[in-house]
Amino acid sequence: MPDKQKVGYRNLVSWLSSMKFAVYLLILVGAVSALGTIIPQGQPPAFYLRTYGDGIGTVINFLSLNDLYHIWWFYALMLILGAAIMVCSLQRLRHARSLITVGSLVFHLAIVVILAGAVWSLGYSRSAMVDLAEQQTVALADYGLGSGQLTLNSFAIDYYPDLQPRQYTSDIGLTGYEQRNYYQTINVNNPLRAGNLKIYQSNWGWMLKIRLTTNDSTQVLDVKDYDVFPLGSGENHAIRVVFLPDYAEDEHGAFSRTSQPNHPYLGLSLLQSGRVVDMALLAPGEEVQMGQSSFTFEDFSYYSGLQIKYDPGVNLVFAGFVLLLLGLLGRYWHLFFMREGD
Amino acid sequence: MAEQLLMATFILLVLAVLINLARLWSPIIWLDSAAPLPMYLAAALLLVILAWRTAEAGRLPLANMYEFSVFMVLIILLGYFLIRRVLQAPEFDLAVSLLLTMLFAMLASLPSDLRPLMPALQSRWLSAHVATAILAYSAFAIAFCLGIIYLIRTSREDASLKEIDRQIYRMVVWGFALLTLVIITGAVWAEEVWGNWWSWDPKETWSLVTWVVYAAYLHARRTRGWRGRRSAWLVVIGFLVVLFTLYGVSILLPGLHSYA
Repeated sequence: MPDKQKVGYRNLVSWLSSMKFAVYLLILVGAVSALGTIIPQGQPPAFYLRTYGDGIGTVINFLSLNDLYHIWWFYALMLILGAAIMVCSLQRLRHARSLITVGSLVFHLAIVVILAGAVWSLGYSRSAMVDLAEQQTVALADYGLGSGQLTLNSFAIDYYPDLQPRQYTSDIGLTGYEQRNYYQTINVNNPLRAGNLKIYQSNWGWMLKIRLTTNDSTQVLDVKDYDVFPLGSGENHAIRVVFLPDYAEDEHGAFSRTSQPNHPYLGLSLLQSGRVVDMALLAPGEEVQMGQSSFTFEDFSYYSGLQIKYDPGVNLVFAGFVLLLLGLLGRYWHLFFMREGD
Repeated sequence: MAEQLLMATFILLVLAVLINLARLWSPIIWLDSAAPLPMYLAAALLLVILAWRTAEAGRLPLANMYEFSVFMVLIILLGYFLIRRVLQAPEFDLAVSLLLTMLFAMLASLPSDLRPLMPALQSRWLSAHVATAILAYSAFAIAFCLGIIYLIRTSREDASLKEIDRQIYRMVVWGFALLTLVIITGAVWAEEVWGNWWSWDPKETWSLVTWVVYAAYLHARRTRGWRGRRSAWLVVIGFLVVLFTLYGVSILLPGLHSYA
């Protein structure tokens, strides 16, 4: 390579591995991230053409700004930022003698560690939402989450005096996961932790038990509140259930006063091809004839919505957080704890 | 009772603004010593208001934007008292009292009803997250006021500029360290509740943008052309970003942080 090109090349490399470049890149990441809060995310392409006009709308769609936190070039930006910080840090490695320089180094490497953890999670984490009725068991393998069985023993809602929910708790057992068993009562801020697997209290609802008798055959159905359950009668019949735990009526119709089962009633709709052809309101134990069958509202109970998540990267991210704080402490020790720090 | 105390605090802040305005027009000695008094009284009243609220609620006042804002006004006042011990500047007193008056006027429109904590908000990490946020943003608020003073005084080539710049730097370092803690505690809490430590929620994203702005300030200080005026502009803009993160996002961009 002729000398001029060599110098030009070296200047470019020198610029790319400089602090200035990394800081500009950081600012760019910040600006792009901010953009994602101003351009509504997750809308179809037509939305942006409508809202921003043909010019800007086309640009938005072309650059996938409607999903910019997950588009490849955003990830690339973060990766390059991580690389830039890494390169800068390695250049200063041999100058790291004092608390200040070591602290700064640790802080910057921590950012790279956090990004690495995030990438690991991105590639390898798995998650599933499972609604379990009390006493129900599911196999983790059914959700691609490895070995083991998850059982919900019981679910409870604890209420404040004003009937606002105070806490949701699930007593669960995870057995045979990586040759270990875990038993815990989890709640909204306390998931079950089993290695890289965590189980979170995510949701809840009502599970309704309905006895369905057609001609001479009897079935017992477990249907979730608001669900539509197809009856497979060949006539495109289905039932939709709406549970009113604390049933009351006023001039506007039926509603539930509270979410506690003080006065439980079940709203049952018979649907044919999606349209309501019959309706009934049942107290527990009551039976009604609709269409060809009779329906009995047997019982009601809770189901707990659990999120099962496998995430191998999150521990690395948290380690990065610790390093980040240690780095700050070292870098600014003099300013924090000494009179003449600067 | 709380409403009367709040009104009294507001009046004291307005009084401080008026005294400081008067000081700039005519340098009367007794005005100089009177200036911090309404602020001290306001701080005392705020302590009472917050203690009362804590007793009533059975928990620390860290659960909504109203409580956050009241607490932040108190912490800014404390920071203001600290700076006053090393720096005397009537413009600074005016800037702080003006800022606090505006913050206070704004928080009056925030819902203040005392509601029990929903399940997702019952976490030590959340309390730490809110507490560090109050501290961080208060530090940035002080830096903001100092930055304005710096910019006003550079036209006069003042001898105090170096000291003001030093105090700004101290405030930003504290603020940045605390903001890092805010983001970390927020992430740990989010992971504990929703299984996801970062979801690009508008409030999360803007706290990161704020972090980037102050990171830029800290890096810029090491570059020759960026010391002095340009740095001061950065801390002024930085606080505007803080205000957007705190209030702009909640008002203009809905998301996960709808508790705030």
